Amino acid sequence: MSFKRTIRKAPGLDMNPMVDMAFLLVSFFMMTTTFKANLPEEIQIPASTSEIKLPESGICTITLGESGKAYFSMDNKFNRRKLLERMGDQYSVVFTEMQMHTFSLLNGFGVPIAELPAMLDAEHEQRPYNQPGIPTDAEANELSAWILTARLVNPNLRFAVNADRHTKYPSIHALFETLRDLNITRFNLVTDTKKTDAAQP
Amino acid sequence: MLPSLKDIEVDRIHSAATGSETREKRKVSVDMNPMVDLAFLLLTFFMLATTFIKPQAMELLVPAKPKMDDVEKETPIKESKTLHLILLESRLAWYKGITDPEPVMMPFDDKKMTSLVVKIMAETEGLVVLIKPLDESTYEHLVQVLDVMTVTGIDRYALDTPSEFDKSLGEFEK
Repeated sequence: MSFKRTIRKAPGLDMNPMVDMAFLLVSFFMMTTTFKANLPEEIQIPASTSEIKLPESGICTITLGESGKAYFSMDNKFNRRKLLERMGDQYSVVFTEMQMHTFSLLNGFGVPIAELPAMLDAEHEQRPYNQPGIPTDAEANELSAWILTARLVNPNLRFAVNADRHTKYPSIHALFETLRDLNITRFNLVTDTKKTDAAQP
Repeated sequence: MLPSLKDIEVDRIHSAATGSETREKRKVSVDMNPMVDLAFLLLTFFMLATTFIKPQAMELLVPAKPKMDDVEKETPIKESKTLHLILLESRLAWYKGITDPEPVMMPFDDKKMTSLVVKIMAETEGLVVLIKPLDESTYEHLVQVLDVMTVTGIDRYALDTPSEFDKSLGEFEK
């Protein structure tokens, strides 16, 4: 009796194309990803039929929360650092090197400048809480100062207003007036895309 | 006698021709698994973290503030050519002209608002739309109305402060 001896081989599967693909996708996603500003409030933006895309760089976004709290964010970490230096000089608030570094990596904040050092020292996880918004009232309009200084740092800066759907008009109006006072008469309103079929005349 | 084909050792001839000794090469293998694991981990992370839908932007132009020493050079507009849109808390009120206005209420409905503006645009030449949001109105409705302006292609519209009469409409709604 002779049995044919079958040699069992592990079925081989060429993984190389899959791995190539995985790396390709990883590099693609790494390059295209921009991280969202983590603000303490979730903003529900309204929808519009506008098809203008928001520029990705050279943009400063002023966010208004539902209750009208103002948050400020600007792209480019080098500009952010310059901005903080100038604002520190103007309001005579001294920032340490570490705080400057933290600020340059921070994309969005909403505290009065006097409270900024304490916020920057806080743990990363703690930061989103207790942000009372940037003061916008007439006698101490810090938001106006931030915008003006941001413009000095980057003269080609464009401005976008990112407000919540349920924000009441007075705070919107106050922001528009602040921008108008600074001679910024052209700005963008950040909106979501709306299905266009409803809005055809 | 010629050697038969069987006798020729093919291998030897081949190695003699290329000049290489047949020797066993040791395969160098690196374990790629951790690297691939990491690649997939990163891939998953970035895929979940990416948002592809870029927010759109609406452009808004507001008039520059008149300078203090500037002489008022505003050209008056005929009141009959004005359309007033008053944004109440949950409805829109509209009327034409300023004297004896007959306000009409309507919901914030894109189609209805668009057809209204289109209709009035056709009736009036050089129509100017004045958008007056009351304090109770929300940003969503403002954007909606501004969007109607863009869709209808009206080039003359402005954000305005509501008059006493307009405010009374808000009272009426309550």
